[in-house]
Amino acid sequence: MPQDRTAPAVGADVQLPHDLMIWVLIVSELLVFCAGLWGFSAVRISDRAGFADAAAYLHPLRAGLGTMILVSSGALAAVGALRMQRRYLLGAALVGAGFLMVKFYEWRDLAAAQISTETHPFFTFYYLLTGFHAAHVVAGMVILAVVAARRRPAEVDAGVAFWHMVDLVWVLLFPVIYLVSA
Amino acid sequence: MIRILRAWMILVAASAASVFLAMGVPSAIWLGAALIGLALLKARVILSDYLDLYRAPRVRAGIMLGFVIWALVLCALLAAG
Repeated sequence: MPQDRTAPAVGADVQLPHDLMIWVLIVSELLVFCAGLWGFSAVRISDRAGFADAAAYLHPLRAGLGTMILVSSGALAAVGALRMQRRYLLGAALVGAGFLMVKFYEWRDLAAAQISTETHPFFTFYYLLTGFHAAHVVAGMVILAVVAARRRPAEVDAGVAFWHMVDLVWVLLFPVIYLVSA
Repeated sequence: MIRILRAWMILVAASAASVFLAMGVPSAIWLGAALIGLALLKARVILSDYLDLYRAPRVRAGIMLGFVIWALVLCALLAAG
């Protein structure tokens, strides 16, 4: 008996917003970052004082500003998807660039203090996690620009969901790396 | 539109609260848990209002259960450190 390919992927009573595959991507990314934060916290057990000293090189206030910029970008993207308007989608990408500027200044200050991935395990995790996240921000900005140009509903939907995943990952990274360790 | 605006305001307020809590309150055992709790609140708002899971509350609850388990393990690791 042939399978019904139009059957919903999730239970019939559940209306899953967005394509199932974008959820597979979102959950996969969350698993990677959440495992990374567990690793970070596990290594911290052996050198709590060292982690606190290392975290003192970071600026929680600036990171908080970056968080507010990123969630604001997410709001613009959500409005862009709702209204299918290019200016909101491009605005979201532009505000995302503001987040990257904050990151750039942070990395520049650390580089000026001659802090690298090998300075301390804190910074190994810090550069790995924030660098990987920043790579997702760059990818998300490109995706937002492409879907804004094409304005096809399914593509806008998937692109904006990817951007929200970037938000979601950051709100988990932010307190663990910048706030709790200090 | 109002839902997105409300979500954005909660996210900005929770982010500001996290920073002021971390910078203004002396280090305490409960502080880490409070900051992780605020992160879970933000995650729920993003799932619900940005990613539209308010339309699929059971899926949202499933993902949030995963986050809560993650947060409990994280808090245990932080407390051990």
